[in-house]
Amino acid sequence: MSWKAACPVSDVKQDTLKECTIDGIEILLANVGDGFRAYPPVCPHMEQYLEGSGICANNVMTCDRHLWQWDMKTGEPLGPAEKPLLIYQTKEVNGQIMVFLDEELEYDFDDDDD
Amino acid sequence: MLIEIKKKSQTYQFEANAGEKLLYAGLRAGIPLPFECATGTCGSCKARVTQGEVDEGWSEAPGKERFKVVKREILMCQCSAQSDCSLTVPTKIVAFRDDDINPDHHIGVITQYEKLTEDVLRFNVEIPTSISFHAGQFFVLQAPEVNGFRAYSMVNYSPGTNELEFIIKQNPHGGLSKWIFDSDRTQEKLELFGPLGHATFHPDESHDLFMIAGGSGIAGLMSILEYGRQVNYFKNRKVSLFFGIRTPADFFFAERLRAVKAKFPDTVSINIAFSNAPPTAEQLSGNDGLIYLQGMVHEHALPAVLEGGGNVMHYLAGPAPMVDALIRPLILNSKIPVHRVRYDKFS
Repeated sequence: MSWKAACPVSDVKQDTLKECTIDGIEILLANVGDGFRAYPPVCPHMEQYLEGSGICANNVMTCDRHLWQWDMKTGEPLGPAEKPLLIYQTKEVNGQIMVFLDEELEYDFDDDDD
Repeated sequence: MLIEIKKKSQTYQFEANAGEKLLYAGLRAGIPLPFECATGTCGSCKARVTQGEVDEGWSEAPGKERFKVVKREILMCQCSAQSDCSLTVPTKIVAFRDDDINPDHHIGVITQYEKLTEDVLRFNVEIPTSISFHAGQFFVLQAPEVNGFRAYSMVNYSPGTNELEFIIKQNPHGGLSKWIFDSDRTQEKLELFGPLGHATFHPDESHDLFMIAGGSGIAGLMSILEYGRQVNYFKNRKVSLFFGIRTPADFFFAERLRAVKAKFPDTVSINIAFSNAPPTAEQLSGNDGLIYLQGMVHEHALPAVLEGGGNVMHYLAGPAPMVDALIRPLILNSKIPVHRVRYDKFS
């Protein structure tokens, strides 16, 4: 695996989310103003697909399901969220968003620290 | 049949009866499995079968959208076991509140049946055992001739009761709704499971309340108002209710709402928004203490929410499009912390 083209930069406007599939791996792209981020497509809480449930404003994403929130630049949890968003490396090349796909990032749903 | 859910720190085990939905079996055993609608639409009770055979039940359940067959992903609220099973559940298993009430199966009898408007019915169900529930909770109900449970919030509030009061909106394409509207169903039996739901009211939390309801979504909020009335909560705490319906002819529970307003005139504000017609002249006169408006309920409620602030708990109850229309601006435009918003989305 290596750097893969996801989609044109112009397809991902600020405060929006776009899902795409590269080599069978679903990823979620976001525009954070000075760059892009790529996450696994689901909420780390209950696997809700964030393209539909994620609300983005001021680089904060909120899942409308149980209102978990994250800093979109760092993936760090905010408010009631208990897990960070995982982030793939991204870069821009010739107007394309490139994502480094070494292996599919998945949330470990079997941990429970409760 | 023995169901096992493995987590790193703990293995949960419970018995499920033949044909019993796995979610209901687990909740009944006191295991706080994840769920929201409990009726197949939301997808919150997703699990993966790692061992054993299951009957998946409702194959077109909307909650299964994007489920992965290769991972044997199922909805616990629709699925029953055909053998001992091992499952994994992709979220924490954690109690919502310390005083969560274990739900259970009941067979109830319809004791009261009253048409409130052209398309809204009120009915009471009597169950043989006395139970308690939190104000704002719901039961899932299934009629004998109709396959599939549907969720309805209780209208009444009474700790330790055999009587559950519900309202239901007419839906000619619905299962239970069509059945119950077809003829007077007094003395007919229903299967029930509950109480369920987390959009609850607890006086010891000492919040002011801001409540927005669309149509029959008012049910759970009536229970909250009733509890608050019983314990004189509104003597010291404010409540604003926005209730959206189509026209003056669709307005029900007017007497009950007026009674709450009359008892606590300084702290209770009740706003009725008609989406499809203006209020009547009598309503606009203000004689009954309620405020009548024309327009979509969320359009009237939002400015009031956004200028609010302070120690307020927000409750949203109604059709999914109304809840969605409120959630987004609440999060985007206001300073309301997300833990100050409660809703159960089922439709």
